[in-house]
Amino acid sequence: MYRYDEFDHQMVQDRVEQFRDQVNRRISGEITEDAFKPLRLMNGVYLQLHAYMLRVAIPYGTLSGSQMRKLAHIAREYDRGYGHFTTRQNIQYNWPSLDRIPDLLNELAEVEMHAIQTSGNCIRNVTSDQYAGAIANEVEDPRIISEVIRQWSTFHPEFSFLPRKFKIAVTGHENDRAAIRFHDIGIVIKQNDQGEVGYEVHVGGGLGRTPFIAKKIGDFVPAEKLLAYLEAVMRVYNMLGRRDNSYKARIKILVHEIGEAEMRRLVEEEFTKIDARDVLSLPHAELNRIAAYFAPPAFEVLSAPFEIFEAAKASNSAFADWVENNVVEHRQEGYAIVNISLKPIGGIPGDATDVQMDALADMAANYSFDEIRVTHQQNLVLPHVRQEDLPALFVQLQETELATPNIGLISDQIACPGLDYCNLANARSIPIAQEISTRFEDLKQQSNIGDLSIKISGCINACGHHHIGNIGILGVDKKGTEFYQLSLGGSHDENAALGDITGPAFTSEQVVGAVENIVDSYLQLRTDDEPFIDTYRRVGMAPFKERLYANV
Amino acid sequence: MSKHLIRMENEQAVIVQDGWAFIDDDEPLTGDRAVISLTRLLESKEDLAQFKGQLGLVLRAGTKQGEDIRDIQSKLDNLAIIMIEFPVYRNGRGFSSARILRDELGFKGEIRAIGDVLFDQLLFMKRCGINAYEVETSLTLEKFNKATSAFSDGYQPAADSLRGILWNRS
Repeated sequence: MYRYDEFDHQMVQDRVEQFRDQVNRRISGEITEDAFKPLRLMNGVYLQLHAYMLRVAIPYGTLSGSQMRKLAHIAREYDRGYGHFTTRQNIQYNWPSLDRIPDLLNELAEVEMHAIQTSGNCIRNVTSDQYAGAIANEVEDPRIISEVIRQWSTFHPEFSFLPRKFKIAVTGHENDRAAIRFHDIGIVIKQNDQGEVGYEVHVGGGLGRTPFIAKKIGDFVPAEKLLAYLEAVMRVYNMLGRRDNSYKARIKILVHEIGEAEMRRLVEEEFTKIDARDVLSLPHAELNRIAAYFAPPAFEVLSAPFEIFEAAKASNSAFADWVENNVVEHRQEGYAIVNISLKPIGGIPGDATDVQMDALADMAANYSFDEIRVTHQQNLVLPHVRQEDLPALFVQLQETELATPNIGLISDQIACPGLDYCNLANARSIPIAQEISTRFEDLKQQSNIGDLSIKISGCINACGHHHIGNIGILGVDKKGTEFYQLSLGGSHDENAALGDITGPAFTSEQVVGAVENIVDSYLQLRTDDEPFIDTYRRVGMAPFKERLYANV
Repeated sequence: MSKHLIRMENEQAVIVQDGWAFIDDDEPLTGDRAVISLTRLLESKEDLAQFKGQLGLVLRAGTKQGEDIRDIQSKLDNLAIIMIEFPVYRNGRGFSSARILRDELGFKGEIRAIGDVLFDQLLFMKRCGINAYEVETSLTLEKFNKATSAFSDGYQPAADSLRGILWNRS
């Protein structure tokens, strides 16, 4: 993991003091709430329905045990004993009081964490693959370049007041777990025939009310030129992006309006000018220094048979189910990647209590080289666990109610906070997710249904990524009543697709039944073990729609 | 609300007064310190060639603000000052205009931020090459110095003397 040096510490400490001064000016009345708003938003402080909310950055989703322990402490001391992990690999606290936030940030700084640029119209926290450094066949650990981007984008003097927020995601693997095609900039790390590494740059993806899949404009940007290239994209956007209408201000609209070819031309022109000055060419020594922090941990050389593991699988069906659904093959023989579901049946997607976070910190220290990851599906990962330790780990997860064996299954849903917390929402999201999860509680039934993602947004802003759910659910308001529009066929991975709307929306009483109806159709339509998305792509909307609206 | 002008002179912030006059596009070009629009500068009519006073340019806020900034390259030597309007805190287009002027076009004269020039943006403006700031009088020199020294370093190079932490380490 990356560790701060004196420069990083100083920048974060300076920021804490700057924000403390801003809060003091607000509390003393020197500045109005209007003037304070952009300042707090630069630091992840939102005013929600009931209280201020603080979003803490977890750069590219990587955490140490001691950082997780600090998050638990903050949940206990500054909040109501829980935190909410988000689709951007961050954590949100829903109940901190404004006057204590500077102290909270000071505590975060002690463990090399911050809330910098977790909101506002600036370059947000960089997100990446939760399996980075643990999965086989990675071109390069995406956290290396993500950390470079984190530093370059932090307090960028030119790009802190962009037309709109700006999100960058990186993947180093051909299986895209970071949904890079739905980001303002998505980066895929590639290797050419000569074995050199380069960066493929996609621009203009996004969800919200006008979803777009990003366009590839940079084919193979070398590492030392990447920051110059990114700065070129940012400058084109900052100069040409629309500021007259906030719904049309994202870079996806600019790319859509001027076209992919023109965007590529403008960026290349700008890149040539920036590159000519040569001040942004990244030194190899610095790249290597950062890369060294992400070197693989000291794995033991292990080989089969893994008797403790095999015996537990044979004797304990709950363990076997959990392994089947939550455990993924590791690059190193004898190790495993462990997904920890934050989607207990009937629970709130992404929530974790202080007790659970403390327990996870211990488990990371004991079993996973002190590393934890946050996923954009709002789950957690212990990336490097010895297979022989899995049975013991499973027991500890069960004791803390973190052993739900549903990764990738229908109850592993993404949901935004919705009308229960958010002042933008039109409808509730969490209760719908809870009801769906309860309706499909039976693990046998879930396993039979197989891979199926449900994503729920409480409004058109699409924080719950409904466009890219295999089944998407969007809350809409019709004359003061909550309705839910369904879509089918969305997908966030390397075969990115936006879902198609089924037809008229459903009431909150009908919507879970409608989801069940869709699942039943799928079970009748599929061949063998064809996953939902493949069936949908094969048969299209018609047979689903016919059954869905048969009795309406 | 009354405003005053803070300018960086030899690395020191000082309060200064000057007499630049904004000349509308349809007004005759007179006086000895005239600030004109980008449109008028690019049209480059007869009166501009005959004007004997000092010339300044203002980039007014608007949907196209600064978009054709690069077209003024051949006229830069005639400009003593370029003013960039920041109409509202969230419009940050002027930061890019300033950097293009400094980094790419090599403009050495004064770049002045006018409009909604806020305490918490001063450091970013300074890093982007802006060296004069029209601010409310309540924003004193002391506050200005505090705002522009909030961070002792920066991660990235810009239009100031910092190389960027990423570059300083090696």
